[in-house]
Amino acid sequence: MTLRAEPLADDLPERPRVLLVDDDEVNLLLTSVALQDQGFAVTEASSGEKAIRVLADWLPDIVVLDAVMPGLDGFETCRELRVLPGYESLPVLMLTGLDDDASITRAYEAGATDFFVKSTQWSLLAGRLRYLLRASRTRVELERSKSRLARAQDLARMGSFDWRRGQDGPVFSIEGLRVFGIGPGEQPSFRSLLRMVPEEERKAFLELTHSAMDRSTVLATDIHARLVDGRQRIVHIEAEPEFNEHGNLVGYTGIVQDVTDRRLAEDRIRHLANFDTLTGLPNRRQLIWRAERALEHGRRLGHEVALLLIDLDRFKLINDTLGHGAGDELLMEVSRRLRSCVRHSDQVLESSLESVGVRSHRTLEAVGRLGGDEFVALLPEVVDEADAERVATRILEVMRKPIMIGLQECFVTASVGIAIFPRDGASVADLLRNSDIAMYSVKSAGRNSSSLYRPNLAGKGREKLELESALHKAIERNELVLHYQPKIDVRGARMVGAEALMRWKRHGILVPPGDFIPLAEETGLIIPLSEWAIREAARQARIWQDNFGFAESIAVNLPSRLFERTDLVEYIHNAVTTYGVPHHAIQLEITETNLMQQLQNVIPSLHRLNEIGVEISIDDFGTGYSSLAYLTTLPISELKVDRSFVRDLGMTPQSSAVVTAIIALARSLGLRVIAEGVENLRQMEVLHRLGCGIMQGFLFSKPQPPEDIERWLQQTVLPKKAPWIGQASSSDDVEPARATRARESRAKPFGKLPIA
Amino acid sequence: MNGNGVTVLDAEALQRLLELDPDGRSRLLERVLRAFESSAKRLGEQFRDARTRGDMAGIRHVVHTLKSSSASIGALALARICAEIEASIRSESVAGLPERLDAMDRELKAVLQAVTPMLSTPGTPT
Repeated sequence: MTLRAEPLADDLPERPRVLLVDDDEVNLLLTSVALQDQGFAVTEASSGEKAIRVLADWLPDIVVLDAVMPGLDGFETCRELRVLPGYESLPVLMLTGLDDDASITRAYEAGATDFFVKSTQWSLLAGRLRYLLRASRTRVELERSKSRLARAQDLARMGSFDWRRGQDGPVFSIEGLRVFGIGPGEQPSFRSLLRMVPEEERKAFLELTHSAMDRSTVLATDIHARLVDGRQRIVHIEAEPEFNEHGNLVGYTGIVQDVTDRRLAEDRIRHLANFDTLTGLPNRRQLIWRAERALEHGRRLGHEVALLLIDLDRFKLINDTLGHGAGDELLMEVSRRLRSCVRHSDQVLESSLESVGVRSHRTLEAVGRLGGDEFVALLPEVVDEADAERVATRILEVMRKPIMIGLQECFVTASVGIAIFPRDGASVADLLRNSDIAMYSVKSAGRNSSSLYRPNLAGKGREKLELESALHKAIERNELVLHYQPKIDVRGARMVGAEALMRWKRHGILVPPGDFIPLAEETGLIIPLSEWAIREAARQARIWQDNFGFAESIAVNLPSRLFERTDLVEYIHNAVTTYGVPHHAIQLEITETNLMQQLQNVIPSLHRLNEIGVEISIDDFGTGYSSLAYLTTLPISELKVDRSFVRDLGMTPQSSAVVTAIIALARSLGLRVIAEGVENLRQMEVLHRLGCGIMQGFLFSKPQPPEDIERWLQQTVLPKKAPWIGQASSSDDVEPARATRARESRAKPFGKLPIA
Repeated sequence: MNGNGVTVLDAEALQRLLELDPDGRSRLLERVLRAFESSAKRLGEQFRDARTRGDMAGIRHVVHTLKSSSASIGALALARICAEIEASIRSESVAGLPERLDAMDRELKAVLQAVTPMLSTPGTPT
């Protein structure tokens, strides 16, 4: 609000208008002339009656009245004009005789502003008139500013008070009383005012008041007050001490103001600034503030503080598939659950913390939301890391129950990283970073767990997750490809199948399988990856069937967790049906170790797969410790001799002994045997001699894109141009493995290959 | 006559009047003296009437009015006598009042005798 500058008191009208009333013609004339000479505009009236008539429709700046006049004298005239509306504060100067004390008193009683002893010194009169006009102007301004102040105070719900030593209570202005809901005229005692303050605040308020008075200092505080009508208000009190000439405190003068609305607004602003609007949990700012206070306490009292970083697993997936509304609902429910895991305190503590006492840091404990699906649990005092881990476990447990979003049941898990002060960091920033690293180590290890920070984790987390995230997108971006390595029947120099091997073309470069397959297995991405591989292999089988009458199997490597899926059979069925190839076009490879670890869970799937014609091959055979008794009961078709035995063939007697044993075992079980990692002719010859006629390895072909396989078949195998062709086929005294023989009848001749 | 006028009217007071109208453009002195003459003649009649009727309030009004207007034109003796009469009436002390009233009547006539010739010749008296 800007106030327009009022004219200064000195800034009188150019020619102030004077009504001059005198029954004496001589005086009237002389005074009039003298005043005009001094710059006044004079209107003359020769009697009181005439003056009243003139005033009925004309307002002068000042009236000069002769006191003694026939008829309506000066006193009566003054009295009459005072009751006219608008004339209450018009300056009126009464002219009296020098020795006329009685008239002076009467003049004031009649409402005259001042008196003036008649004199022939006219310039004195003019000076007095100017003074009166100035005083009047000042008074008008004072009245105006007083009423403005009252109005402003009223608007600001503010009022003033005075308190003198020895008085029972402060004396309030009308506006001041209104602040306390008290009508004008009442003056409440100090005791009755104090009763409005809630009991628990009273003592502190009294102490504050006494200490201000004892030290004669300014008093400024906010109190809660319960008004007579029951309203709860917050009243701001501010008072300054007043001293007498000896410097002794004589009282206080100050203001009271109803600041309830402002405080509510401030509280709301503070709440918005410190709390997450969606979940109502402390936000990043508030959390960091709390954590800093917690560290201060920890440092001072020598205890540990734990910071738990909680990140929801695959929240983005929920947000993307169910929409942001559902995502928000989920976050709210998650927040409720997380709160239940700690002694969550909602207070914004900025001002009150210090006063609560030594254990006050306990009230810092909270779960907050850092943003997105990231939460933090702050444990301001833990005995040891196990303490923090217990809370982490509780967090993982409360997430276990499904969350209903609309009619949809959602399962959400979380990854929790724990950092402990002071061991894992001396600052909040360090602790946040290290809890983040610990959290990412959980993500990498398959999520839904918690981990303490360890220095060796640093640097691994983010990088791995980036790779994971990129791998996740690899499918939709068509960055994954299958390369194929032929399975060769060396005697007939024929391809009797192929193993599909996954490759990742990231930014145009092939990522080695060793760099992403273990990661895919750790993170569970291996499942969508394997599913994609099944479909892709089926698609390729169809292409090869069309191109050269391929009727064998393409083997896809599957982790055991995929076999645990009840819908695997259906999935394969759908994949082969989509591309119009028979079920046996897909063969599944599972490593021996994998199979044995999950035997119980995997067996039902194996049986069902076998029933529909999907063959199972045991990869890396010989490395695990297979229970032979089990092997006999499993519906498997093929054993693949681990490459480590093949490598040593002809170099160590043990390796050929193992291979001989595997072949013997396979024979007794009626299984096909295939050797992988065959790199040279010598290995080929030994294997062939030992009775293994189906092989796979660089000697024949490295894993290649499907088009290259076709080219290789046309240019190398069919024209029998490779060095290995003819070598093994000459030794025909070796009996081929059963399955190979069985398969021979199904195999179509290569003659159907289109030859360029 | 001139000399008489000078004695009943105070020169200093007249000078103050002249200062209000330095160049004589508004003929202030003449207007003031005319106003005094008419008012004083009227007051003189009212005075004599009131005296005949023994009307003290009427007398008081006359002397009050004459007191200030005679002072204004420099008739200081008349103003002083008026003030004395007004004071004694106010204090209700009648001792010496008739003599004072006689003196006032005499002085008023003298002042009017001094004023009237000053009005016959327009302009500033010399």
